[in-house]
Amino acid sequence: MANPTSRSASNVDSTGPASHTARHRERVRRRRPGTGMSLHLAPMIDVTFLLLIFFLLSTTFRRAEGILGANLPRESGPPSVALPISPVVVRLLSTGPAPGDYAIQIDNFEAQPVTFGELTQFLIDIRRNEGFDAQTPVVIVASVDTLWEPVVDCWNAAVRAACKNISFGGEGE
Amino acid sequence: MAVAADRQRRHRGIGFNMTPMIDVVFLLIIFFMLVSNFASAENVPMELPKPFKSQAKQVKLRDRVIINCQISEPDATQGVWYRVGPNPPESPRQISARLARAKKAAAAEGRDLIAVIRADRRLRFADVRVAMEIVSENQIEQMRLVAHVGEGE
Repeated sequence: MANPTSRSASNVDSTGPASHTARHRERVRRRRPGTGMSLHLAPMIDVTFLLLIFFLLSTTFRRAEGILGANLPRESGPPSVALPISPVVVRLLSTGPAPGDYAIQIDNFEAQPVTFGELTQFLIDIRRNEGFDAQTPVVIVASVDTLWEPVVDCWNAAVRAACKNISFGGEGE
Repeated sequence: MAVAADRQRRHRGIGFNMTPMIDVVFLLIIFFMLVSNFASAENVPMELPKPFKSQAKQVKLRDRVIINCQISEPDATQGVWYRVGPNPPESPRQISARLARAKKAAAAEGRDLIAVIRADRRLRFADVRVAMEIVSENQIEQMRLVAHVGEGE
């Protein structure tokens, strides 16, 4: 049985450039028998580019954000921590308008940490004293004009020290 | 010989090799697909605190309501904007009403509501405390603070 494609190819005028292209195609087809199934690259590339452009335009690289567990201020709500006799009261005072302008004060302790790294170490060290452990409440009392960043830093220092009962206190604490 | 080669070249035309380009494109797509983490509309863009050796963890909370405390823009002197999730800025009283509704909805399903406070690091503690008081007056017992994950400055 004659191949219809080859018949059509042989029917074209054999002198012009169109006939040359047809003959070339026919040659390529004959050279690779069994290539009936072909993958259409064009739509795939379309979709791929579409996705690429979407991601390129929509992506904005941001720092990841996370969550710190917290308790509410004790003055204005129901107490979330049952306070024993000796909570550690950490006072955060503003000394200026810049984020680094703050002072840390700890009530009833001689040692006064200056940085939040030192505060973490202090909160770990006091557990050597009798009556203090990880369950000892740590109350953070910040003055109203203190910036939010040092307040979160202070909270983070207590979390780093593995303190379990951390809460905010009012200024009258 | 030279004539034949010239004819062959003319017939082939200028070739464009797609393979390396597709390789690169796929590589880029895979990179973006893996790296992309779609930001929730609730997380209004702001400068979050970057604590020293941050202990903040990326967790997914189910019944949570996010209170965004932002510096008002473009005029920072106008005070603080409080907004629940992606909603427009509202007064503390309106925020409180929203929280009350959210708490009621969570309670109807037998769950506790968690208040998540996202506050700009440049705000004063007094500004953020307003949001805490709103949470407190609605008797929402669980509160979380948002900070950057990882090493701070």
